[in-house]
Amino acid sequence: MFSSLEFFIIEAFRSFRRSALMTTVAIVTITVSLTIFGAFLLLILNLGNVVGTISSRLDLVAYTGKNLSLEEAGAIQVRLAKLPGVERVEFTSKTEAWKKFREDFGGQLNLEETVHDNPLPHAFALSVRTPELLPVVAKEVADLGVIEEVRYSGRLIDQMRSLVSAVRVGGLSLIVLLSFATLLIVVNTIRLTVLARETDIYIMKLVGATDTFVKWPFIIEGVMIGLIGGGASCLILKLSYESVAARLALALPFLPIFTNQLVLTLIYAAVILGGTALGMLGGQISVSRALKNES
Amino acid sequence: MIELINVSKNYPNGIDALNNISLTIGKEEFIFLVGSSGAGKTTLLKLLYRAEKPSAGKVMVDRVNVVELNAGQVPYLRRNIGVVFQDFKLLPKRTVYENVAFALRVTGAPRSTIRRKAMQALELVGLLRRVNSFPDELSGGEKQRACIARAIVNNPPILLADEPTGNLDPTTSWDILQLLDKINRRNTTVVVATHNKSIVDEMKRRVVELEGGRLVRDQQLGTYHV
Repeated sequence: MFSSLEFFIIEAFRSFRRSALMTTVAIVTITVSLTIFGAFLLLILNLGNVVGTISSRLDLVAYTGKNLSLEEAGAIQVRLAKLPGVERVEFTSKTEAWKKFREDFGGQLNLEETVHDNPLPHAFALSVRTPELLPVVAKEVADLGVIEEVRYSGRLIDQMRSLVSAVRVGGLSLIVLLSFATLLIVVNTIRLTVLARETDIYIMKLVGATDTFVKWPFIIEGVMIGLIGGGASCLILKLSYESVAARLALALPFLPIFTNQLVLTLIYAAVILGGTALGMLGGQISVSRALKNES
Repeated sequence: MIELINVSKNYPNGIDALNNISLTIGKEEFIFLVGSSGAGKTTLLKLLYRAEKPSAGKVMVDRVNVVELNAGQVPYLRRNIGVVFQDFKLLPKRTVYENVAFALRVTGAPRSTIRRKAMQALELVGLLRRVNSFPDELSGGEKQRACIARAIVNNPPILLADEPTGNLDPTTSWDILQLLDKINRRNTTVVVATHNKSIVDEMKRRVVELEGGRLVRDQQLGTYHV
């Protein structure tokens, strides 16, 4: 068996070298397809991450009229807390809000000279049990009649959600199409080496080689093409993701970037395995067809 | 060793390559298969190593009807039948040694066995000095010797030769026939399909003549023509 294995690998390398150009084309195609595949996976993961983080931070903010007293605000807080779907109510008095505003922006704006009175209202931050309840609770709050303005980012979340599912569907279709195209290119590449070695195959079969024996060198060739393509794509993905993530973290620090190393490693591994599987399948298909014609 | 029972072969294009042939070839026999081009000689040989299946009849090789073999069993039949061609069918990018060793490699033989058997076969055909040459560097006779070495390297009990002297001059043809005769005397059944009248007449072996797919003559110690 050792002698056969050695023979298969030598044969695979021989044909690899012989059709160097087509092999390179196949490797590049696999690399490009798998990089797109991986990039989509990473994009979907990150969009999901953003939506998840935003949803979990999701609050509904209710502002009172400016001249409401603290006692009146306290009574409103009790009413708000009783509303169905509301989990928690946090109160920020107009004084606290103004103080915080001055702390945050006082250095940049000359507030003492331009604004004499506190222009801010009391505010209630409501945590809602599920994001879907946001519009319902918003309406209930508005219906109380004591609140001047209700704000929540529900529409943004809805838009993000549909974006994520669009990317997911689009990405999936693209991945299926790309895999198919890649497979075809690998099949044709190996087919060329099969055609170049038709006499070899004929003689192998003539002197009593089994189909399995004839197939192995071509399958190994496919695996080598897939492995190199998958490895290159994995490297490209890893390096670009790390660099893009680092830049995004600097430029948009509030954006939650997906950094779970286990999942990322799984994605890189899937890219390499996907390439290998595509190459192997390509080798298998092309040589099987040739063998069918031969017998 | 070989028995054809009422064998016919019709191609879909309407050509009847073989028509109800019955023929028995004994163990270690040497026979010439003669007849004009298109008489069915090559088809008959192909039926023996299952490159073709007959339309009717049985093809028995060593008491096995090869018609009934499934695809997975055919390689094992072929390891017991050496085949020599007019156009040699050597792999151009491999040396003589590699061409011969190739036939053993595909059977999964260990490396030491491959080397020993390949060298033995090359010695038998007188090509030891050319082991590292490529087919392009060989004369016609040497190419045919390499082809014969590849055919016998597995020590098959049967050797089929399809026009082995078709591309060779008379002297070389005679040498090749002497070599086939030598292999026959080493207990191998040899079937030679040929047009070469002088060799058939000189060798005086059993002659089976085909004409238009029919067996028209089966003569011990025969000549090319009656």
